[in-house]
Order: sequence, then structure tokens, then C-alpha cells
Amino acid sequence: MKKLLSLALGILTAIGGFVDIGDLVTNAVVGSRFGLTLVWVTVLGVVGIALYANMAGRVAAVSGRATFEIIRERLGARAGLANLAASFLINLMTMTAEIGGVALVFQLVTGISPMLWIPLAGFGVWVVVWRAKFTALENATGLLGLGLMVFVVAVFLLKPDWGQLGPQLIPRIPATEDGTTYWYYAIALFGAAMTPYEVFFFSSGGVEEKWTVKSLGEVKANVLVGFPLGGLLSISIAACAAIVLLPQAISVTSLSQVVIPVIQAGGTIAFAFAVVGMAAAVFGAALETTLSSGYTIAQYFGWSWGKFRRPAEAARFHLVMLIGVIIAVLVLLTGVDPIAVTEFSVVFSAIALPLTYIPILIVSNDKQYMGEFRNGRLTNALSLVFLAIILVASIAAIPLMVITGAGQ
Amino acid sequence: MILSDVLRSEVVDAAGHRLGRVADVRFRFEGPPSASRARMAGIIVSPRTSASFLGYERSTLDRPVILDRLLRFVHRGSFLVDWDDIHRFEDGRVRLRKGYERRSATLPGDDE
Amino acid sequence: MTDRKSMRAGRVVDAEFQLIDRQVIDSEGMPVVAVDDLEVSDVPWNTDLPPGTEAPIVENLLSGPVLGTRIFGGRPPESRWQRIAWKHVVDIGTALTLDAPAKEFDAGWTERWVRDHVVGKIPGGRHDPE
Repeated sequence: MKKLLSLALGILTAIGGFVDIGDLVTNAVVGSRFGLTLVWVTVLGVVGIALYANMAGRVAAVSGRATFEIIRERLGARAGLANLAASFLINLMTMTAEIGGVALVFQLVTGISPMLWIPLAGFGVWVVVWRAKFTALENATGLLGLGLMVFVVAVFLLKPDWGQLGPQLIPRIPATEDGTTYWYYAIALFGAAMTPYEVFFFSSGGVEEKWTVKSLGEVKANVLVGFPLGGLLSISIAACAAIVLLPQAISVTSLSQVVIPVIQAGGTIAFAFAVVGMAAAVFGAALETTLSSGYTIAQYFGWSWGKFRRPAEAARFHLVMLIGVIIAVLVLLTGVDPIAVTEFSVVFSAIALPLTYIPILIVSNDKQYMGEFRNGRLTNALSLVFLAIILVASIAAIPLMVITGAGQ
Repeated sequence: MILSDVLRSEVVDAAGHRLGRVADVRFRFEGPPSASRARMAGIIVSPRTSASFLGYERSTLDRPVILDRLLRFVHRGSFLVDWDDIHRFEDGRVRLRKGYERRSATLPGDDE
Repeated sequence: MTDRKSMRAGRVVDAEFQLIDRQVIDSEGMPVVAVDDLEVSDVPWNTDLPPGTEAPIVENLLSGPVLGTRIFGGRPPESRWQRIAWKHVVDIGTALTLDAPAKEFDAGWTERWVRDHVVGKIPGGRHDPE
């Protein structure tokens, strides 16, 4: 059991990254429009984030230095500040979306307007960040988030025509969609899988858990279990949508369509699992992005940080997060749609990604940081391939977003 | 004096020819470790750019190979100038003495 | 750590590469500041240096407003520089380590201020997380 719990960080990181409010809807949208033809992107994203988070985790474990300290140290204060500004904005946008997402899940269950849930959700997120122990936070949300496994179960309960589903895995553009929209969603899915905040959270969480050189096996286990699991959940949400929504041309605009396949497969019990899973996953993502906003700023400026310290010993870190939550709640109360916010932030992630990735790749090869634990040749080779993919995605992201009108 | 006054300044030789920019300032420790002083030993001049080296061109960092080759190429021609060869500090500019020597910018291997 | 091996005579460091933008941690492992700039003893400015002029030494690590002016230009007044004297640095590796706890340094004042005026006032701020 303890072994299982030691994987909680990886599982929570992945859940917050792969099935947050934006992904819950985007995966269903993709499934309902493109079937399984974009699954390869999620698989690619899983490999990429696993590689990247593993490198950042190893650096944190061996050198004790967290990711944004490294970014500033390698890129210099100027480029580091540009990266910080972009990363902080993305974190803030995503935080806003996730807190709004928690309210949306409550609306799904109770039917009560999200406006009433928003301040409660914001307060809940802040209280947990303020007072809860890091391990309690990750164990609870990670475990409850596994309720989303009901989507995997649903795929089988729906008894799909495998002969028809299988061929969909081959990447091709469906007749009903055009090429630019296909590639827009490909980049959106890739950006959703490889968001920088997952890496900030994972590596800072590792410092929270006091990883050392002896923890390298644990780092690897977290990565090898967490991210593929996140990818599996993502794919199964898309698969459910492909099986139920696509043939009926039901378009996904909110969480209510996302759960239709689950209800169809397993009734109220399945719905209950899905709701618990979604609430935990979105709440977990809210925690992850809130903490990331604190981590990035504190690490850039050299402040004391971490939930392992009492708030009085990491005062500015907690103040930044408190202000962030307040801003998020105020923005949400103006009535903005949380899901629309995530669509934009994912694309901006694709742009900020190279600036975050390169310093980590370099430092994980630096003997002064890593000693004998530098990257192996295979890791470097794979990392360079992904660097190329990331650069292409980041260049194509904004033009595609403009051309397709964000995926219409 | 703040080091930023010197970093990124233009570097010119005795005749006024532009040699590059100050990419870094090198210090050497002296005295016993318990009362160490860091004395300026020289400046690193980069003819092409003063942007961050990312750690490749001066130290033992040499992987991934592609990035290493790329960054060494971008920063080729960087050299170290001894303190004794500095003639004059001005706002935004450093003038070198006539007959200054170009030395290797490589950092002596750190085995920390 | 207290053998100060990394401060041995003859060791050479490059300021921008190895000192500036690095994390500074105190004797108890708490982060204090990031090094935003270095203060070096004065050299004659706008005048020819006579041969044999002694090279300057690092006097202080600087943090605070100097970061903004380093990136955007200008120079904050000296009274606003937060200084940590060089003699307090005992180790230079991937981060710089000091010989005393953070509270003994001026550079920690914003953290203390936020602690006393904001965080300390919210219930639970001074307790360990549970």
C-alpha cells in the first residue's frame, strides 16, 4: 500500500495534466468528431511528458534544484522573466478554468448554477493549499481521481464494434472535417499532454517529498505509472465519445455530453463514479496549477517556498497563490466560460514549452548538477526528437488557431 | 561598481576597433577558504553575441552533441582578456591595452 | 560543507555563468534570494588604468531592485540595494550557501514583512500543515 501511495505524485500530476476540465471536454469533442484518429497524438504526448518530467524529476532529486531556478540560471534573468510571465499567465488562466470546472461538476450533479459554487470552490482550493499536508493532498485527489477509470470500463460495457473502431486508430482526416482543424486539435491535444505546469508541479513536488539520489527509482516509477494512466483515461473518454456520440453526430459543448456514454453503459452507479472522478481530477488540477503559480514565481525570485514549510516560513509564496485564487474567482464571477479559457491556455502552453524544455534538457546533462547521473545517449536522442516536435508545434500553434477559429 | 556596468559593454582595442561584447567577468579566489576574496581576473569577450552561452562553450558540458556543436559555433571566437590588459572602463565600453593577449576562455576543469 | 572546498585559493569562476542568477541558501537550507547582481570594489572610471593597478574584488551579492534595472536599464539608488557580504558565502556549487540563517541578513526583509503583516495574520499561518 505504501508503495502504491508513493506513486501518488505521478498519478496526481498526470490526472491534473491529462484529464482536467479542458481535457475532459476536448477529449470528448475529439472523439465525437474525429473518432480515434487522433489517439496517436495522445500517445506521443504521453511519451514526451514522461521523458521531460523524468528529466526534471531526476535533476530535482540529484541536485535539489527546482525547475524554475534552473530556467533562470540557464537562460538568464531576461529570457527567464519572459518565460516566467508566460508561464504565470498560463497557470493563472488554467487555475481560473479549473476552479470554474469544479463549479461546473457541482452543477452537473446538483443543477445549481455554477456562480454559487465558484466562491466555494475557490475557497476550497485555497484552504487545501494553505493547510493540508502535501502527501494528504496528492493521495486524496490522486485516488479519487481514479474514479475516472469508469470511462475505461464503459468502453467495454458499451460493446462497441471493434472491427469498426480499430481502423480508426490509423491517423487520417475524417471526411467530415478538414485538414487544418485536424492539425489544430492535434496540437491542442499535444499541448494538453505536455503542459509545463505538470513539470513544475512534478519536480517541485519531488522537492516537497524530499527526493534524493536514492529516490531515482521512485521518480521513474511515478513517471511510468502516472502518465500512461493519464493517457489511458484521456483516450477512453475519447473512445466513449467515438462509440456513442460520433454515430449520432452529438456535439460536445459541456460536461453533460461528456458523461452520456458512461450513463448509457452503466447507469447511475457509473455516473456517480464519473462525477467523483471528475470532481477530484478537476480539483486536483486546480491545486496543481495554483501550486505551480507559487512555485514558478518563488523559484525565479529565489524566495522560500514549499508546502513542507509552514506558511509563515514561505510567506511570499503563499501570498502569490492567495492573490491568484482571488483573481481567478473574480474573473469567473464575470461569467466567462471556463472551458473557453482552457482552449486558449493550452495553445499558449505550446508556445512556452520550448523555453521550459531546453534548460531542463541541458542541465540534465551537466555534471555539476547531475554528477554520474547525467542523461544517457538514448534519453538525449529521444529528447532531441521531441524538442524538434515541440518547436514545430509551437510555431504552428497560433496560425492554426487563427485559421480554424480555435477549432470550429 | 555593479557588475552589470561592465557586463554586455562593448569591447574595443587600443585603435578603437570593435572586438565584441563583455559576455562574462572572470574572478579568481585568493586567500584561505575561511576568508576568501574573489579578485577580478579578466573579462570574456564574445565577438558575435552577448547572449547566454547555456554552459557549453567554456566548461565540461558537452552533451547533447547537437546542441554542443551548435552553441560552440554560435560563440566561436570568444576569448579571455586578462585584467592587466584592460586599459580603461567607460560607460558602456571597455578599452584594451595595445598588444593585449587573447587567451582561451575555457574554464579550468571544475571537479566539484 | 564547512570545509569550504569550493572557496579554495586559485579556483576560477565566471560571474554571469556561475554566480549571477543563482539561488542563495542560508545555513539551514532555506532559500534567501537569487543573486541579481554583484557589487565589486570601485575601479577608476573614465580614466586610464595605470599598469599594475590592483584588480577589484567582489564585495557583496546584490538582490532586489537591481534585477529590474539589470533587465530594463537604469540604476536604483544605493540605499535600495540589498547586500549580502561576500565573506558570508561558504560554498559555491549549483547554488550559493551562506554561513548564517536568513534572518541575519537585510535581504530577507520582504519575506519577514509579508510574514508579519499578511500571512501571520491569517489563521493557521504559523502552524505546520496537517
